[in-house]
Amino acid sequence: MKKSLKFFCLAALVGCSLLTVSSAFAAKTIKVGIVDTYSGPASTYTNDVRDAFALAAEKINAAGGILGRQLEFFTRDSKFKVGLGLSAAKELVMRENVDILMGTINSSLALAISDFAKQEKIPFLATFAKSAKITGENGHRYVFSMNENTAMIGKAAAEGLAKRPYTSYWIAGDDYEYGHAVADGVWENLKKLKPGVKLLGQSWWKVGEPDFTPYITAILAQKPDAVIVATGGRDCVPFLKAAQATGFNKQVPFYMHTATEISTLKPLGLNAPEGVIGTANYHSYYPDTAENRAFVAEFEKAYGRTPAVGALYGYITAQFISRAYTKAGAIDTEKFINALEGLSVDSPVGKVTMRAEDHQVMLPMFMGVTTKAAGQSVLIAKDIVTIPAEETMPSLDEIRKARQH
Amino acid sequence: MELFTGLSFSVLCIQILVGLSKATILFIVASGLTLILGVLRIPNLAHGSLYMIGAFTTYSIATAFSQSSLGFWVALLLAPLAVALIGLIMEQGLFRFLYKRDHLMMLLFTFSFSLVFADLVKMIWGSDYRSLAVPEIFQGSYLLLGMPFPRYNLFLLLLGPLFAAGLWYLTNRTLLGKISRAAAVDREMVGAVGVNVNLVYAAVFVIGCYLAGIGGALVAPTQNITQGMDHSIIIEIFLIVIIGGLGNVWGALLGAVIFGLTDAIGILVAPQFGIVFPYLAVITVLIFRPKGLLKSIW
Repeated sequence: MKKSLKFFCLAALVGCSLLTVSSAFAAKTIKVGIVDTYSGPASTYTNDVRDAFALAAEKINAAGGILGRQLEFFTRDSKFKVGLGLSAAKELVMRENVDILMGTINSSLALAISDFAKQEKIPFLATFAKSAKITGENGHRYVFSMNENTAMIGKAAAEGLAKRPYTSYWIAGDDYEYGHAVADGVWENLKKLKPGVKLLGQSWWKVGEPDFTPYITAILAQKPDAVIVATGGRDCVPFLKAAQATGFNKQVPFYMHTATEISTLKPLGLNAPEGVIGTANYHSYYPDTAENRAFVAEFEKAYGRTPAVGALYGYITAQFISRAYTKAGAIDTEKFINALEGLSVDSPVGKVTMRAEDHQVMLPMFMGVTTKAAGQSVLIAKDIVTIPAEETMPSLDEIRKARQH
Repeated sequence: MELFTGLSFSVLCIQILVGLSKATILFIVASGLTLILGVLRIPNLAHGSLYMIGAFTTYSIATAFSQSSLGFWVALLLAPLAVALIGLIMEQGLFRFLYKRDHLMMLLFTFSFSLVFADLVKMIWGSDYRSLAVPEIFQGSYLLLGMPFPRYNLFLLLLGPLFAAGLWYLTNRTLLGKISRAAAVDREMVGAVGVNVNLVYAAVFVIGCYLAGIGGALVAPTQNITQGMDHSIIIEIFLIVIIGGLGNVWGALLGAVIFGLTDAIGILVAPQFGIVFPYLAVITVLIFRPKGLLKSIW
């Protein structure tokens, strides 16, 4: 017994020393820690971010890495819980010594990780969270947003709706921060662009409302010219289902962010309503450029599915990381941030710039209308209008005001 | 014809019909809960879980037929039977040994079942939500009084009275119904006259679970099939059973109609606060009729 214990201790010692030696000799890598929701409904969106990031990282590594170092990444499932996600971020920094944090679809968690990143002076590249506070009110040196936010959605939608002949509107949406932020954003901007608009009234339902039929019939009764629908995530699907059943959009046109996006349309197949006005940051079939086609082909080959909007976020995040380090010429956080400010990278939707002042990525927004396409089992967007990022970005004055509080 | 601004008679009618079609599903599920409550005295908190399993099973069977409408009808037949089978296993395997226990014990017991079922669903179907297409015959809507009314909701509306009639026949015209009504009032006496009470209990429990399953199957094409369906419905149907009168099938019907109508009319009158109206109705009923609107068997 004693002998075996002694032997075990010795073996453990030898093992440990071998481990330290091997890690000392292992080539240093650039480590990215991704915290996101990988279980539950939100994973529909987040898997694309991770998979496109992995694909881009693979290509970067095959081409010799970044400044001679390989890019590696770790994922942690936050299960859409703030506490869990925050401890995962801490663990990634303390134990894995990651150089960069990335994620998450949950805005509250993104803001919590952003605070932590500020304390630890670790860059945090937020993907998919749509709260305007990330780069607005709560923005700081160490946080970057890699996608559109509610303020930009509001501006883009207002821009597109103002060009249409509607004056009396109804607003309906999910009764939580995202819903109200989108609705307020669209409405405030629309009033500026088109002073004659009237708001007839509003409907708000609980998040996860199972049946939208009574809400839709009540809205139709008010006969607005158009409806602004501010639902997010998984509520978009049953809403479109109820819209299809009631013939909503055949009577009153309505707008919904992501209504034209494949993540929303795919679960409905051909039973999605046609003629819904939507905005999205990405379509696999638009713009029809060589870059986009190559990106889609590569993603489909690797994962056997069409890339959704999350894939764009994941892809550009990897590009920005690689370019910023290369530009900085050293693996150094402060130099990395300086390099990232104002940096432009090529992407499937053209050249994309990281705005230096507020660390908000400048992505174009595509507004279109849902339609059936020949030989396709999922609806697509037609009549696509590109709203350039310059028109949707909050002004620098707005950012300054927001950050003063 | 305007009742007041923006609220015409035809709009009100449509909204009432939408509310009643929602009430149909609530009634079907709640009647199962109230049957089990009345005869077996089990406040079955896992009833919502059975409804959720019914919906998920419907999805699996229907999509096995590669989205053709036939799949939904086959699923409507088979999924509730699968749920009834789960009910039979529950009753025979566990509940029949516990009829002598007190209500609190039963409440905790069925609650733990709801947790087990929730995890089972997660293990079998994963945590993604599912979406099932409305069967082709019922896609789109009819124009009634100049307003669109979804065809599937009309189908539900027609099913409601059928189920009510069927339940009336079951409880009033069949031997099983008569015995179970007698057992609800005085179970020792029923046993004393030589009826096999255990068999009656098993049958009633299975019928109750079947009703939960068919509610889940019917709701599947109208909403996301998702984790958490069990919680939202169990709260609603318990309130319905309480305001209707415990163990009273007609009470479940009345409660479901009140719940569905206040929901729909509330959304029409005050769309920003639509959520609260059904609950206000429940509170109002309980202030004036603490034991529920119809005769409670407890």
